[in-house]
This record gives sequence, C-alpha cells and structure tokens, in this order.
Amino acid sequence: MIAEETLVNELKQKESQARAFEVLVNTYKERLYWHIRRIVLNHDDADDVLQNTFIKVYRNIEGFKGDSKLYSWMYRIATNESLTFLKQKSKKLGVSDEELKMKMVENLQSDVYFEGSEIQLKLQKAMATLPDKQKLVFTMKYFQEMKYDEISEVLETSVGALKASYHLAVKKIETYIKAD
Amino acid sequence: MGKDEKDNFKTPEGYFDSLHDRLMDKINQQETGTEDSIIPKSDGFTVPEGYFGHLPKKIFSKIDQKEPKVIQLKSYKKFYYGAAAIAAVFLLIFGLNWKTETPIAFEDLASAEIDAYFENTELDFSFYELAEVVAIDNLSFNDVLEDQLEDENILEYLDENVEHIEDLNLDYDDYE
Repeated sequence: MIAEETLVNELKQKESQARAFEVLVNTYKERLYWHIRRIVLNHDDADDVLQNTFIKVYRNIEGFKGDSKLYSWMYRIATNESLTFLKQKSKKLGVSDEELKMKMVENLQSDVYFEGSEIQLKLQKAMATLPDKQKLVFTMKYFQEMKYDEISEVLETSVGALKASYHLAVKKIETYIKAD
Repeated sequence: MGKDEKDNFKTPEGYFDSLHDRLMDKINQQETGTEDSIIPKSDGFTVPEGYFGHLPKKIFSKIDQKEPKVIQLKSYKKFYYGAAAIAAVFLLIFGLNWKTETPIAFEDLASAEIDAYFENTELDFSFYELAEVVAIDNLSFNDVLEDQLEDENILEYLDENVEHIEDLNLDYDDYE
C-alpha cells in the first residue's frame, strides 16, 4: 500500500492528482461507506453522502496540512457530511432530529438493502435512542473495529472519555434489547 | 483429522488453520467488552450488487464536471469602494457650488416657520432686551393685551390709584 505522505503529496500535484485520487477512493471507499451508512441507514443516502465526501476531499486536499492522519481527516469530513445531511433532512420534512431517527429505523423494515433480523432491527432502534456522539463511538468500535486511538483522532475526544462513552452505549443497548 | 505421533491425541480437521482468526475474534470481543453480549455481531445492512466496483467511476465523473464558477465578492468590493469614492467627490463639489451660488436669504424662510420658531422656543428676553428691539412709540397697551381696554377705564383706574397725576409725566395737551 502506498505511504500516506506520498499519497498526499501526489494528490497535491496536478500531474499525479488523478491517479492518486483513484488510489485514495479505492483504498477508503468501503470503510467510509460503512461509516456513513451506519449514520444515515439508507443506501441511497449513504451513496450521496459518500460521493460528496470524496468530492470535498478532492477539492480541499490543498488545505490538508498533515496535522492529523489523512484517514482521520476524511472520517471527520464523512461524519460532518452525514450529520449535516440528517439535519437538512429533518428540516426539510419538518420533524425533530429524534423523530427523524425513529422514522429512519421504521423505514428499514421495507428497505431492500436491509436484511436484518428482528434482533438487528431492535439494535437499530436502541441505537436511535443514543446521543449522536455515543452512537458514533459505538458503531466505530463495535462494527468498524477501530482502535480507541483512531476514534480519538477522528472525534477529537480523549481515549478515556471514549471508553466511558462506549461502555455506557453498550449497557444502554443491552438494556433496550433485553426489555420486553 | 490431525494426530500427534507420540501421544496419539487428535485435533479437528483444519483446527490450526483457523486458530488465528478465532483468536483475533476472541481478543476483539474481550476488547469491546461484548464477549457474552446479546448485541448482534452484524447489523444486517447490504449494498447493491457491484456497487463498490462502479463507485469510483461515478465519483470521477462528478469531479470532471465543470466546477461551478465561484464569484468573488472581493472584486465587487473594489467596485463599490470606487463608486462610493466618486460619489463622495461629486457630492462635495456640487455641495460647495450650491452654497456659493445660491446663499439662503432670510427672506426665503417661510414666515410660518419663523412663527413656529418663536412659538416653540422659550426666548426668555428681559424687559430691557425687549425695550431695545421694540419701538415704544408705535406701541400701545392694546397691542400687548388680549382684553382690550377702553380709554375711559384706563383713566378711571388712574384716577383712583394715582395720588399725584403729575408723577405720570403726561402731556396734558393729549388729555384735554
């Protein structure tokens, strides 16, 4: 795999930009997709947000200073794009953020790209009750199996706070699933 | 089935091949604190067939589309500053010219405005100041009194209240 520093340099140079961007997309497309999908839940929405994320990365790579790792910078863009997308959607539909989250989970039952069982649907309902950041920490740790250090860089939160947040999320979800 | 040559112990087929994966799963479960959790290990989401294969093309075609032209506000700012400066110069020139060519004369002021000024402003003149500006020769008591006094009433008042008529320094010719 091409070194991150080399990739960033190639992305910033006109002659190597196109090829480097292709490498970037192929390297991160799946990871970013699943990150976004777990926030917006619907495939078409995830597809839109993912494309916008890559376009933003391409257009703003000049401004990437290298203070953080490239992947955490892209994860941050993807997270912001996803949350902004949901905010716009709730505004458009004239519902609150919480109402939208519940509606999104309800829509999963008729979603052709959701093949979850009853328990998986219940998991989504449980996650919809969590605060945004707690949900993010949970999905990044539990499903994306990211290390706390990596999550810390993306969410700009201390590892200690992330661990506390994660364990709290696990307890809440378990309690929700066990109920009734 | 695997077999140990010395002790004749056996292991399931392929046990050591999958050991690494199973170990990693176990480590991950311990790390996430979900070893015995009831939370499902997958979330049931799927993607359309061949989605990730077609994705790069879709992104590149979007990037290749001409970037929307960004209109810089700064260039307009320069124009606004220039226009404001020119307007200020014109105003200054015309303002000065107007002042020199047509000075506003006192006669040009509407008399209604002057009346309003005196009515609404407390001038607070003293009697001496009023005496200086008002010609007493052309003024009679009735000019300043709202209730008109008859000459007879005045004379009657003076007759009753003035002891020595000479103190008034009147020109007797006027009253005879």
